[in-house]
This record gives sequence, C-alpha cells and structure tokens, in this order.
Amino acid sequence: MITVVNPAFLSVIVDNGRFGYGYIGVAPSSGLDRFAMAMARFALGMPDNAPVFEIMGDDLSLLFSETVTFAITGARVKATVDDVPVEPWCAVKAPKGSILKVAEVLEGFRYYIGFSGIIDIDAVMGSYSTNLECGFGGFQGRPLMKGDILKFREIYDPIEHVGIPDLLIPSMCGPHILRVLSGPEADRFDPASVEFLSNRNEAAFFKASPRLNRTGIRLDGPAIQFRDKVDQSIISEGILPGTIQVPPDGLPIINCVERTIGGYARLGTVINVDLYKLAHIKPFDRVILSVSDRDEAERLSRARKDSIAFYVKKQ
Amino acid sequence: MVKELYGESGIRIIFGDIIDDATHEMVRRFFLHFTSLHIPGIIDIIPSFRSCLIHFDNDLVRYDELCEYIDTAEADGKNMVLPQAERREIPVRYGGDYGPDMDFVCSYSGLAPEEVIEVHSAQIYRVYAIGFMPGFPYMGPLDRRLYVPRQATPVLKVPQGSVGIAQLQTGIYPFESPAGWRIIGRTTMRLFDHTRVPYSTLSFGDTVRFVRA
Repeated sequence: MITVVNPAFLSVIVDNGRFGYGYIGVAPSSGLDRFAMAMARFALGMPDNAPVFEIMGDDLSLLFSETVTFAITGARVKATVDDVPVEPWCAVKAPKGSILKVAEVLEGFRYYIGFSGIIDIDAVMGSYSTNLECGFGGFQGRPLMKGDILKFREIYDPIEHVGIPDLLIPSMCGPHILRVLSGPEADRFDPASVEFLSNRNEAAFFKASPRLNRTGIRLDGPAIQFRDKVDQSIISEGILPGTIQVPPDGLPIINCVERTIGGYARLGTVINVDLYKLAHIKPFDRVILSVSDRDEAERLSRARKDSIAFYVKKQ
Repeated sequence: MVKELYGESGIRIIFGDIIDDATHEMVRRFFLHFTSLHIPGIIDIIPSFRSCLIHFDNDLVRYDELCEYIDTAEADGKNMVLPQAERREIPVRYGGDYGPDMDFVCSYSGLAPEEVIEVHSAQIYRVYAIGFMPGFPYMGPLDRRLYVPRQATPVLKVPQGSVGIAQLQTGIYPFESPAGWRIIGRTTMRLFDHTRVPYSTLSFGDTVRFVRA
C-alpha cells in the first residue's frame, strides 16, 4: 500500500496509452516519456504495460506500508528514502514504513516512478492511463491527491540496484531541439517565415508558453506567417502525438497525447526519437524546431533501438 | 484515393478535397472494411471528413506492406454493404448564457438570434468525424448563412454540452474544455460515457437534427 503524503504539483497514473478508439475521439493519454517508462519497468522486471506514476514538480512524498521496490526515471531528481539519498534510474528497495521523498528536480520536467507491483486500479477501455479532461482511467480519473491510498495487487521481489547506464540517459535540458518531418500543410507557410527550420538557426528559437500540459505545448516567439490567400485552417483531420499545428495567430502548438483531430494547418510532426522531449519542455524553456527528413529519422530510430535493445524489446 | 506518409508512423489516406456525403461515404466504407481486417501493426485509425489517418508501429509493419493492404482494402471495400446510419435528435437551449457567442454570430451573419436558431435547427447534419475529445461530433454541412470563422486563439473553457459552429461545421463539446468554435447553445444530452457501451452516443456517419429545448 502507498499513501500519498504529498502529490507534488501534478501526479497521474499512466501507461503506454489507450489505443484503438481514435474513431470516437479517444486519445492515447499515455505517459509522455515512453523511454523513461520503459526503463523504470526494465529496472524492476515489470511487464511492458504496468502502470506508473508520471509526476511534475518537487515536494513529492510517498509512504510505503509494505516493502516495495521502486525505480525513478525521467527527469533527474534528488530523492531520499527515510532521508538517505537514493539513486534514480535504478531499482531501490523501500522497506515497510519508509517514506520516499523527492525534494528537487535537477534536469527535465516529468519524472516517472514504477513499482515492483501492479497498482490495483481498473483499466478503462484497455488502458490504465488517466484521461484528465474527461475524468476517467488512472486513479478515479483524476490526479493523485494528499491522503490517497493505492493498493497493490501483488508485490514482486526484484533484484535491487539494477540500474540504467548513464550513457543511455538522454539530455532533458533546454534548448530542446525537436527535429520535424514536414506536415501536410507545410506549403501554406511563407518560405521566408519557416526558413529557420532548415538552417538550424539558433537565433530563431521559440519559448515554451506557460500554458502547456499533456494536451499541447504552445510556443511563443516569432509568429509563423501564412502565404497570401491560403486557407489558414483545414477541414479537421487526424493528428498524432508530436504533430505541430499553427493557428491563424502563427504561434505553433505541439500536440501531445490528448487529441486525435485538429483543425489548424499542420506544419510538421516531431520525429519518433525526439518525442520523449515533449515530457521535459518546461514553461519558458527554449525550443528549436529543425527540419529533418525520412532518412535521418529512420537512421536515428534504428540507432536508438540498437542502443537500448538489451533493455527494451520494443520501444 | 491518395496515400501519403504522415510523420514516421502515420499514413494519411485522402478520399477527396471537400466536405460532402459522397466523399464521406468512401471514408466510412474504407474505415469499416479496413478495421474488420485486423491488420497487424495498426495502432489506431482516425477517420474524418475526407480522410483516414492510420497510426502504425514501424517495428511490426513496413510502409510499403501497409500500402498494399490499403489498396486491397479499398478495392474490396467497394463491394461491401454499408450498415444503415442512425438518425438522432439532440435537444438544445440556444442563446443567452447557453450561447455566449450568439451576438458574434448575429453580427457576423447579419441574422437575428431567432433566425440563427431557425437555420441551425432546420438542417439535418451528418456526423463526419468524432474527435478533438471523446464523443465530440464534427457535423455538417452548416447552412452558408451561418458561416463564421474559428476563434483566432481558443477560449480556455466552455461548459459540457456546448454547441458550437465554425466555418461550415457544427459540433458539441461532450466535456468542459477549451474551444475554438463559436458557442450558440447547450445540450444536456450525454455524448460520451466510459462506463457504458457504446461509449460514444454518436457514431461516425450518423445523422443529427437539433431540436430547440
């Protein structure tokens, strides 16, 4: 049993996502950093779709009423169990009655905590992920709150100190370079206005707006100009996590995990290996959009897969 | 039908350029048939007005393989008998607190509130897509007299059941949410419920008429 003594800024239960209901508008609601989730499960020897916590903010405090092994991945944090520092990205045993505290987030934005037991919640439409906007999935369809008690169905006793090599832990600090493949409406934008995409000009960067969440990340900065006389919106159509839409005000919105359809022109889509970065873009972080191509995306994807093949069968 | 890659893991299948029933029927036909084939490596399919967006797993299926499946499915789907679409009526309270953008719609269209209500509730709409959020129906075609642009910047919060219009479409927000459409009324009908089947009150292809409540 876990008691939430303090839930930090926002803690939700997530898994790899809710799929197969795109035709009725149900979005994945998956954890944003799938790599971090996979590594937490690897360190604990847990199955691929075990639910984990996705947490934003410091000042997290969890009380364990039974012995559980956990692993914190994602954003680099300073964590302690009963005031003794513990290593992140590593399986750590928390004895019965101990308190896990995260006091400080050092790099990145969202961190993940996996446990050596399956949290006793019901899957909704095939997934444990929380759909915050509609209030279903996860723990009672809402973020974790002070005093919540989560039970485990079964607790395993995995080997301690299984860690992820430092080399594999990606950078999570800004500026965040997002490589993008051009989208269906890319030709509606004034070429001079999107030139920054191809010259990797760091001077032309965006700043993440404070209005960002699991639905989308709005970017502030130089507004992208549409060409003269083009339609500034589209007949609404499917979008995927990482799709970058540009509303008529010219400020891009990166789609995260809570939308299936959009009506704004689609400038591009973030390549798969860079999607984890969406979890770590904080308000006011610098974001650089840079054009990529299919060959580069594939090459990076293959390289990433090779480097983590031992840790995850499938990313 | 045109196919094109969308990002690394998407294929966009386009059946036409405009919003009309003939194009939509092609989408519906393809979607229903393709879904019934249970092709491995398909993560999700998002059908809409004139296209299907297929999200696939690059590790389980290759783009060129998937293209072959798509071509075959499109050809075979032509012989399929399409299931009859449902007809629905949705009660709406128009204007006032229920429709905060009624004034904007009136001044943009030059119509009086009564005329806006009359025109909006006279039409029989088709559910061209469900998305944006669970159960949100994108419906059309809207009478040209009610054409209004979307909000340049979405409004942060509209109540559950808000009925909106934008361009030549009308829709309903099933949950409290941000909105880019102009809100003219509200319904108490529940459009999405994760505890019952079917989860979504409306299906892709249904027809809908709004009834003044």
